[in-house]
Amino acid sequence: MTPNSDPRAPATGETSWFCCGNAWGPCDTAGHGACGTCNSGSRHCAWPNTSDACYAITRPDKCGEDLLRRTCGHTFYVRNLCRTTEIAVKITDCGPQTDLWCGEKSCCSGKCATNRILDLTPAAYSAIGNLSSGVMPIAMRS
Amino acid sequence: MVEFLAAQQFLVGAVLVWAGVFKVTSSSVPLVARRSALRRLVGAERVTGAFRALGAVELVLAALLLMPPSHPVEPILAAGAFAGMLAYLVYVRRVAPDSSCGCLGESTVPVRWRAFARAGLLLAASALAAFADSIMTPVVAAVLLVELSVVAALSPELDRYWLVPLRRARVRVSHPLAGTPDTVPLASTVDQLRASDVFKANERALRSDLLDTWDEGEWRILAYTATGGTAVFAVPLHRFAPEEIRLAVVPSEPISV
Amino acid sequence: MPAELDPLGRRRFLTAAVLGTTATVAGATVLGSIGPEAVADPATPIDPDAPDPNFAEGRITGIDGTLLLVTGSDGVFHRIQVTNATSVWKLRPTVFGDAKLGDGLYARGVRLADGVLAADAVWLNIVNMTVHITAMARDRMYLDHHGHRVVGHVVSGTTAAVYNSTPAVADLSLLRVGQHARVIGAWRPDTNEVDVATVYASAA
Repeated sequence: MTPNSDPRAPATGETSWFCCGNAWGPCDTAGHGACGTCNSGSRHCAWPNTSDACYAITRPDKCGEDLLRRTCGHTFYVRNLCRTTEIAVKITDCGPQTDLWCGEKSCCSGKCATNRILDLTPAAYSAIGNLSSGVMPIAMRS
Repeated sequence: MVEFLAAQQFLVGAVLVWAGVFKVTSSSVPLVARRSALRRLVGAERVTGAFRALGAVELVLAALLLMPPSHPVEPILAAGAFAGMLAYLVYVRRVAPDSSCGCLGESTVPVRWRAFARAGLLLAASALAAFADSIMTPVVAAVLLVELSVVAALSPELDRYWLVPLRRARVRVSHPLAGTPDTVPLASTVDQLRASDVFKANERALRSDLLDTWDEGEWRILAYTATGGTAVFAVPLHRFAPEEIRLAVVPSEPISV
Repeated sequence: MPAELDPLGRRRFLTAAVLGTTATVAGATVLGSIGPEAVADPATPIDPDAPDPNFAEGRITGIDGTLLLVTGSDGVFHRIQVTNATSVWKLRPTVFGDAKLGDGLYARGVRLADGVLAADAVWLNIVNMTVHITAMARDRMYLDHHGHRVVGHVVSGTTAAVYNSTPAVADLSLLRVGQHARVIGAWRPDTNEVDVATVYASAA
């Protein structure tokens, strides 16, 4: 995601999906996330800069990402970089750990996005992509 | 037996020095503290300070144990500290099972049986230390070395120094996952499809994930349910040539349930 | 498309449609026929605070013909209708017959007036885990998933690796002990084991 001064301007990045709330399988210990309200079946997301404590873990700055502070309950509008369908997602967790994946890139039709800056719940991810793909390039705005 | 007892005070003192030096001096303490379960106990604002203070207490205890004169109350104080540690670990397992202990160094490994075993071992060592003076002899040193090795084996903080390199070396000698079949993974074909303009132009009409796939000579066929029919893509199997991808749309058959 | 075709016949029919090896394909159209302008926008506004009505999550507690009876992890009961137009994923694209009682599930489709979810896509037992590779053996890797040990089985011919965002390959020999990775896989119900579909890792 490129730093920009206008927080409403669209930005690009990479997203994956994660489970939270009541769940089955290896997810069953996931809990309701940093905000206490995260659920896999709702259109929720995890953002790397929800608080100082969150930022200290996710460290998007190590990948050159200057992400704005957005706290629990903030709504983003997200679309697959190669599609027009845009969905609203609400921040309910801290994540992903951006610094683990610095430089990771995903593309569609010649358009690419770099750095994992957002995680979506299965409900949100599957609304704009397929769960069997681990990562997806996105455009997002506030 | 006397040598065994004599080694315990050194063991406990050495571990406390290790823990205290890390907590007081390490630059990674703020991060480790935030990731630890102590944050839940004292709050995010105070956790780094609490970590440093805890380190100072550990260093004072270590100094009492390792420096003369020795007094029976010193190991008892240490035993009390490790009993407190065990209680803390129980608390961590109950309220923050995915948090790390933050006990002896930087580790993101949550509290598991090794942390309990280590704290139990040190509690037992502290209790035994009350029954003997700490005198260093070659036998005592050998006992101490063995015990320190056990503590190290129980410390996830140290895995990266011995366990991970050991496993890496084994993998380097003979990678267990080498020799996989020379096939083109489906994920690679799907990636190529996603890179194509034909997919971009039609992706919005696709309603399902991949419905079916099979290989046909030099092509891999990928079928999706699309609005109004089945979208069938033919993707070059062994070449990256997204511009050659073909698409046909076959109108819907009656839906059978 | 003739509805009576068996799966192999159906594949032959679709192959002929896309590769044009036969002139007998009726009704097949090509490129551009399903352009975006021809399709209604599927994005109806959904309140992010509420459960997504067109999505379901849970475990299969009953199979009645092609209707999946699913109990959500939050206790909500779902009826999910699967058709021959529904994609089913279970480690790889598969068929409805592979769905078993006890399988975990995510499904997306359209919620009908009677509460049934008409599924476009069903993913069975799919998991997406951020892990550390702690050890490897001949046909498996041992993973640390938030402190929980998970055994990742390598499935010959299916398991693929993506290194540094390059195209997926079957070669897993660049995976290293100690590195972090993201694993898409299929959980083996009620165990700590998964079959690995794709592992995303760095090759450095």
